[in-house]
Formats: sequence, C-alpha cells, structure tokens
Amino acid sequence: MALAEGHDVTEDDDAAPPSAADTLRLIREQQDATERSLTPDARLIYWPWGLAWLIGFGLLFLRFGPHGRVYVHLPSWLPLTTLYVLMVVAFVVSGFAGARAAKQVRGQSARKGAMYGWSWFLAFAGFYALAARLSPYLPYEYNGLLWAAGSVGVVGAMYLAGGAVWNTRDLFVLGLWVTLVNIGGVIAGPGWHSLVIAIGAGGGLLVAGAVSRTGRTTR
Amino acid sequence: MSPPPDPNEHPVSAPPELDPVIHAQARLRVVAALSALREGDRLAFPRLQEILGMTAGNLSVHLRKLEEAGYVTVTKTHSGRTPTTLLCLSRRGRLAFEEYTAAVRALLEPPQSTVDESTLEGS
Repeated sequence: MALAEGHDVTEDDDAAPPSAADTLRLIREQQDATERSLTPDARLIYWPWGLAWLIGFGLLFLRFGPHGRVYVHLPSWLPLTTLYVLMVVAFVVSGFAGARAAKQVRGQSARKGAMYGWSWFLAFAGFYALAARLSPYLPYEYNGLLWAAGSVGVVGAMYLAGGAVWNTRDLFVLGLWVTLVNIGGVIAGPGWHSLVIAIGAGGGLLVAGAVSRTGRTTR
Repeated sequence: MSPPPDPNEHPVSAPPELDPVIHAQARLRVVAALSALREGDRLAFPRLQEILGMTAGNLSVHLRKLEEAGYVTVTKTHSGRTPTTLLCLSRRGRLAFEEYTAAVRALLEPPQSTVDESTLEGS
C-alpha cells in the first residue's frame, strides 16, 4: 500500500488493519514518511556546499598555487568570485531545503530552525566585517587565505553547532572534519590550503551527501 | 502482565485490548504521523493532509474523533489573515499510542508463547 498516494473516503477507513504485523508495518511506514517529509534532504544541504568548495577552491589552487605558482593562467579575480557566487547559491539552496521541510510546522523546531538559519548569516557577517577591515594590511596570498579559511571555519563551526542543536552525530562529525581539514590547510599555508579544502572538505561534503540517509535523527 | 491472547478466541481484527479509537487504518495513520513530530511541535492541517494523502473532509472526520477522545490537541490560530489549524498529539494521545503499539507488539510476540506467529498473521 502506497501511503503517499491519494486516499479517498471509503468504508475501509474505519476498518482495522488486517493483522498485527500489518499494523506495525503501517505505523512504521507512516512514521518514516512523516519523518522524511519533515526533514530536509541531506543531499540538498551538503552537495551545493561540496560543489562550491571543490570548484571554488580548485580554481584558487590552480591560479594561486603554493609559493606563488600559477598552474593555470586564469584572471586573478575569477577563483574567489566563483567561490563566493557558488557559496551564495549553496546558502540559498540549503536554506530553501530547510525552509521547505519546516513549512507549516510550528513550535520548537521552527524556532530552532529560524535561529540556526540566522546564525549562519550573522556568523558570516561577523567574520566578513573583520576580514574586510584587515584585508588592506595583508600581503596578497595571506589575504586570500584569510577570506578562504575564515569562510570554511564559519561553516565548520555552524555544522558543529547544528550537531548540537539537533543532537545529530553525523552533522557534528562533518563539522569536526571540516574544521580539522581547515586547520590543516592553514598550517600548510597559502596555496596548499585551497587544495586541502577542495579535496578534503569539498569531497567530504559530496560523500556526506551521498551516504547520508535523509533522516536527521534516528528514532 | 495479561496472559497471551488466544487468536482463536480474539481475532486480531478486533481484540478487546486494542484501543478502538486508534485501531482503524485511517486514524492509526493520523496518530502515527503526528507521533513523528518532535516534542513541542505542531503541524498545520494542510501539511498533515499532504503527508497523509487524505482528502480534507476525510481527515477532518478522523481528527474530530481523535479530538473527542482527547488524543489530539487542535489549536485554531491565524497566520496573517489566514486562519490556521495546528495539530499535535496530546500527552494522553501519545500515551494511548504507546500502549496501543505495545499491545500490538505483544500480539506478535506473546511472552512464553505457544502460539505460532503464522496463526496471527493469517487471520
């Protein structure tokens, strides 16, 4: 029996499920269907960010390699612009997926979700204010590292916070991974940071989206 | 602990210990769906209807029965100028659903059972 399909008014509605096993199956299927509907699709949450980082940081590495090496002669403005445009797209897509799941749900989850969404925005605003102020005083390659590592750091911290808010280990582990990869990249230095993030964090997010069940919490 | 039910005496379709309010396919699905909500959350009527794939009239009828039994809390509110009906299981409803689920499980796995499970499934 397909639960998602239309269900007309029938005499059967008042009938009991045929057997105890059917009853349990009906309960489980309906709970799963509801859970799926109320939970954002993890792929829409992770893949846009994974692609943004893989492509954006990939271009950064090719144009601004370690020790000023240029692997591909791209216009100097292109990599960071691409990264930020793709990050805005990722922000919108993942926000939309979250909002759609929370549509017409009121109460604690809606408040949590709204506060979490605003936290992303505000955390980025706080960091960008600082980075814009410091930017003119930094040599070119460290300038790039500041903007890149700061943005990834904010995302990692927001995943960690998301794991705490919804009590999900998966999201927390992802935040931990992104944060550690970011620290590793910063230690490795400008140029290397881009490569480490593109593959480690970007690839990690793509994998996370692929392996995640859409269920946010295990019941 | 009540003794394991004899399937010949009480057919599974109407065993006396199963809550009749919940033990109907449509209402069971309504209650199961609402039980998947997180604590402190309420679901708007159209969204519940969408999740269940029921007609509005059908869902209203079953919600009324559940509300009369005190299992579902119905809150009428406004979002802007549009009236909205918000739904969630009451504490009593949650408890009744837990007891119902436990009772059905017990039917499937009777303690120290001599009853063959296929007997139950086949009814």
